[in-house]
Amino acid sequence: MNLWLRIVRYWRADLFSSQSFLVRALVISVVFLAVHWAGLREYTSVLNGTVGSTSTGWRTSAFFGVAYLIIYMAFIVLAPILILAAGILTVWQRCLHRR
Amino acid sequence: MKRAKRILAGLAALALAAAIWLPCVHLFFASPASAFYTKEGLSPKARALAARQMQLWTDPQSRQQELDRMRVSNAEWDFMGRSYLVWALANMGLRDPSSKQASLQTMDRIIDETLRLEQQKGIYFFLMPYAKDRPYVARPARSLFLDGEIALMLASRRILEEKPEYKPALTERVNLIVEGLRRSPHMVLESYPDECWTFDHVVALAAIRVADYLDGSDHTILIHDWIAMARKNLVHPESGLLVSSFTTDGSTIIGPEGSSLWMVAHGLHLLDEDFARDQYDRARRELAGSTLGFSYAREWPDSWKGPADIDSGPIIPVLEISAGSSGMAFIGASAFGDESLLASLNATIDFAGFPSRKKGALKYCASNQVGDAALLYAATLGPIWEKVKAGPK
Repeated sequence: MNLWLRIVRYWRADLFSSQSFLVRALVISVVFLAVHWAGLREYTSVLNGTVGSTSTGWRTSAFFGVAYLIIYMAFIVLAPILILAAGILTVWQRCLHRR
Repeated sequence: MKRAKRILAGLAALALAAAIWLPCVHLFFASPASAFYTKEGLSPKARALAARQMQLWTDPQSRQQELDRMRVSNAEWDFMGRSYLVWALANMGLRDPSSKQASLQTMDRIIDETLRLEQQKGIYFFLMPYAKDRPYVARPARSLFLDGEIALMLASRRILEEKPEYKPALTERVNLIVEGLRRSPHMVLESYPDECWTFDHVVALAAIRVADYLDGSDHTILIHDWIAMARKNLVHPESGLLVSSFTTDGSTIIGPEGSSLWMVAHGLHLLDEDFARDQYDRARRELAGSTLGFSYAREWPDSWKGPADIDSGPIIPVLEISAGSSGMAFIGASAFGDESLLASLNATIDFAGFPSRKKGALKYCASNQVGDAALLYAATLGPIWEKVKAGPK
């Protein structure tokens, strides 16, 4: 099974499984890297009321800025929690199986 | 495992993971206060911020782009970005003699252009549009916001190295401010029509104090009288903090605000150390907060609430974090040697300010030129005040 199919299968799997947590962390990381490389970080200036770029205007700047902020927070805060939770679940399930 | 049990186990794992991770996040952004501010020399962050600011003044296209972005929101930022950078460069030149010549060149370029723009386009060029909504009470119309900051720019340049052409320009500004304060029944001057700012008065008085040091004049009594007036009329009774703005008859418009107070406390440090320390300690108590190892500052104390505006920046609900106040808190923390707050603020800005580093130059994407210039000022302040306090030339 190729990687993509595996990701799709885990994404559709039980939301509270360790695989599902890991896949979601992976997806967040990939999306974050994509928006980061696309240069959306520049638009976070909307947080202090400065337009990201005079050519893109307020609405687009605000959209890019807020999108980057949400994905960044997900990458820094949520993705590590999902990875840790996956690890905790795996260890806990192994302990249960041993019993 | 049954579905309900699986969900419960998953939620418990998420909760446990959050309890482990959240208190640790700040550790990935932690650095000592000395990474931002050092007593002598230049911190790594000061050098990186300065490199970016200098780039803007040597590359006209980048500078114009940056100014255009800021002027869309606030023409004041264009002006204040110049002021903070000039003040910071003067301190940098005193801290690091190897940077002095480059600092002087950039300072002169900024000062000359600012004076030219003010002369050609008038005071309204650097003010927000509402300045034109009604006439100034005092005539002819002048803005203490511009006069005070320009005076401190000129004085800072002359502290770093004398420039005879700037001496009459500084004397003229100082005389205008001094005469205006003496003429005013309440010792206050407008920045906007019938709108006076504590911030602008403190900056202007600091400029007068530096001018006294440079030129041998003496405005000790005027400064003393203004401080006495401020203690009596401009202190918010519930918090003991200085209010931000008031009318020409001394009535409060806006109460204490973090986006003003941290700089006010730093400015007072040159004028009245005890009052400055009192204001900083109160601001620290009333406005500074910390969550999960990240420090921030609120715009208002509990006893005063105002609307979010261009100075406060957006306010994050619940914790009431203000971008404007948090940025300016760096100036207070550096000025008063508050290393724990400084280190923690530094972690916050590296986490939530979205730093961008290119070829040794640093900017914060969530900030703008004026925000970064204020940070640079916070990272370098000290030497000018110390020189003036040490006594006559």
